[in-house]
Amino acid sequence: MAELDIRKPLPAITTEAKPFWDAAAQQKLVMQRCQDCRAWVWTPRPSCFECGSERVEWTPMSGKGEVYSFTVIRQVVGRAASKAFEPDIPYVIAWVDLEEGPRMITNVVGCGVEEVKLGMKVSVVFEQQSPEIWLPKFKSQQT
Amino acid sequence: MSIRDKAAIVGIGETPTDRLGSKPGEPRKSSAEYISWAMRLALEDAGLSLKDFNGQGLGVTIPTAYPQPFWPEEVAEILGITPGFLLGGATGGAGSVSLLGGMAAAINSSLIDVALCIGAAAPFSEHFGGGIQPGDMRDWEIPYGTMGPNSKIAMVMRRHMHQYGTTLDHLGKIAVAGRYHASLNPAAYLRKPITIEDYKNSRLVADPVRLLDCVLPANGGKAYILASTERAKKLRKRPVSLKGFGERSNPSYGARAGSDALIMGVKDAGKVAMEMAGVKHGDINFLELYDDYIIVVYLQIEDLGFCAKGDLGYFERTDFTFKGQLPIQTGGGMINCGQPSTAGGTLHILEAVRQLRGEGGDRQVPNAEIGLVSGLGVLPYGKNLGCCAVAVLGNEA
Repeated sequence: MAELDIRKPLPAITTEAKPFWDAAAQQKLVMQRCQDCRAWVWTPRPSCFECGSERVEWTPMSGKGEVYSFTVIRQVVGRAASKAFEPDIPYVIAWVDLEEGPRMITNVVGCGVEEVKLGMKVSVVFEQQSPEIWLPKFKSQQT
Repeated sequence: MSIRDKAAIVGIGETPTDRLGSKPGEPRKSSAEYISWAMRLALEDAGLSLKDFNGQGLGVTIPTAYPQPFWPEEVAEILGITPGFLLGGATGGAGSVSLLGGMAAAINSSLIDVALCIGAAAPFSEHFGGGIQPGDMRDWEIPYGTMGPNSKIAMVMRRHMHQYGTTLDHLGKIAVAGRYHASLNPAAYLRKPITIEDYKNSRLVADPVRLLDCVLPANGGKAYILASTERAKKLRKRPVSLKGFGERSNPSYGARAGSDALIMGVKDAGKVAMEMAGVKHGDINFLELYDDYIIVVYLQIEDLGFCAKGDLGYFERTDFTFKGQLPIQTGGGMINCGQPSTAGGTLHILEAVRQLRGEGGDRQVPNAEIGLVSGLGVLPYGKNLGCCAVAVLGNEA
């Protein structure tokens, strides 16, 4: 079955992001926080995008947030690797605003696509994609 | 020091738009062929020759699907120009507007006296393979199954509708005005007029983004020639002066805590460009706004300050057609004329030049003296568009 060979694209485990994936494998959501100006820094990077300090440290997050906006994917388009998402259709891509402030692109899972609403309170769940990669996704706090 | 009225557009060239190459056996052209064709048209328009550009400026927009870092240098080789100042337009779809600022600055400093700015792409007839995605997209978007720009713009559009009560009637008005202008533009690709109902009933592509929200990818080449104001006076066409320019890359709206993903960098870039030009909103006779999506045009009208954010009444009462209070997309925009990758944004400069020369034909804005053009490029993580460039053009220096 040729289609079984189509794998979902995985993130590269870069040196900046390795602590994030190590924590995710332990079911923990962490992000960088500037030790000088206290800004949350997301996505992972070597220095604070508010003040330039390199003293950014991995810090535990509550894993709670709310849906800022979302779209429903009903059709795959574009790159060949997109085909790997076909069995998941329809699914939700969302911007989730975390309690601490950063906004993540993620999936809202565990409910029907028609149940997802803006402002919906969500909390993190981790879905294993490979031996090293557990992707943080979000589900409704009501379920 | 400012670059106000230091340089003027003296020639434009635009190949017809096509989508050839998507079916087997169709005739195909390469990017290089569209580039040469666009240059010839621009040279004829300006009354200049290839030799006029030796030791002068060459600016080349860098397309997304041609992952070759020396493309501007290769274009010089293809065209047979020996430039004295070579710039790559590397701000995605904003590239051609960015080049206006860079080349005008080079002209103002007497590095050069004239510049050819050019770009082409042939996404249907040329295939170079994948290319490399920016790191954030590769690591933090694609693994979740995002489907290109549609996914992100759909989230921007849904949030705007949620936050301000914007409806498909408000957005559809932009789409209908653009297509109406395209119906009056012999060079447009989609020319059959549409109604609000056609817009509302078009297929959902990435809920709530519909087919008639989206730009139309196409093959084609586009070029303009910029010259010093003194040189421009000696050439055959009425000069179109660059009066103001502003640019913002990586505006801070979006990923940071407490930020607003509905505000675009044109807010800052537009302010800078209008102050440089010394114009107020009432002085601007028409807008040619970068239009990868209808909602992106809508946001820019707000962020340029023509109305307050979320002022639905403004969109309800304003006539956006060429005879209205605020004409926009007077040739139909990229949504109706086609987008050859990052060269697509050049369309808006070329249409503004036609309007300011009085060459707008059946869609000529009456008494057009000042037009505002924007270019946008790149969709960074957690934001709307990353690179925003704005130019104010006028027909009096």
